[in-house]
Amino acid sequence: MPTSILGPYTRTIIAAALVVVTIVFCLTIRIPVHTSIEPLFDWMTASWFGYIGTTWGAAFAVVEAFHLVGLAFIGGTVVASDGRLLGLILTDQPPRAIIDKTYRIFNWALILTLSTGIFMACGVAGKIYFLKVFWYKMLTLCAGMLFEYGIRRPLLEKELEDINPWVLKLTAVASVMVWFTVAALGRWIGYSG
Amino acid sequence: MNEENKTEAKLDDIQIAAIVSSSVFVVWFVVYWFFQIQAVRELFEFVRVNNF
Repeated sequence: MPTSILGPYTRTIIAAALVVVTIVFCLTIRIPVHTSIEPLFDWMTASWFGYIGTTWGAAFAVVEAFHLVGLAFIGGTVVASDGRLLGLILTDQPPRAIIDKTYRIFNWALILTLSTGIFMACGVAGKIYFLKVFWYKMLTLCAGMLFEYGIRRPLLEKELEDINPWVLKLTAVASVMVWFTVAALGRWIGYSG
Repeated sequence: MNEENKTEAKLDDIQIAAIVSSSVFVVWFVVYWFFQIQAVRELFEFVRVNNF
């Protein structure tokens, strides 16, 4: 079991190792890997999703609308829960209630955003493969999901009184920054005609 | 290690992991958006100098 191998600081070691691996990957084999996965994007373009996305603009627009709704829900839940942790909004409500209520909405919004995002990516696979901003978004999205489910939620499962307030605030700030970047980069992909 | 120590270690572990990952995200956010905003400012300056 990894816990027994890595000792009591398993999660810290894994988090630091992931950061190091990501940096090493970006500095070394990023370009060869990017080249090697081009056939995947050709396949996405030729898939049913790609065919529908490129043939029927209305279908793409409808799916994109749901994608934006999902992003709006993610943004809303992040602002509500992290804003409460920072003591900026909803201060008349207990933070535990806000966190618990936003968890489920966040999950469904993320599923909606990911599923519609895959469809949209198939529709414009030939374009996004060459967009740097798309890869930055994927990196931030993966990091955001790992952070949410691997760090933030396990942290907030503890009694909030037992957590250092500065750790809580730092986590909330980081969460807002990550999801703001995901949304902003998504909008940027839209502008990159 | 008794049960109480294990619980404390777990709590410390997740808090340290949160500090490490959050710090990386904050640094990444500041650096990334600094250069993006800088690029837009340079674009505006280019447009202004060349009277587009």
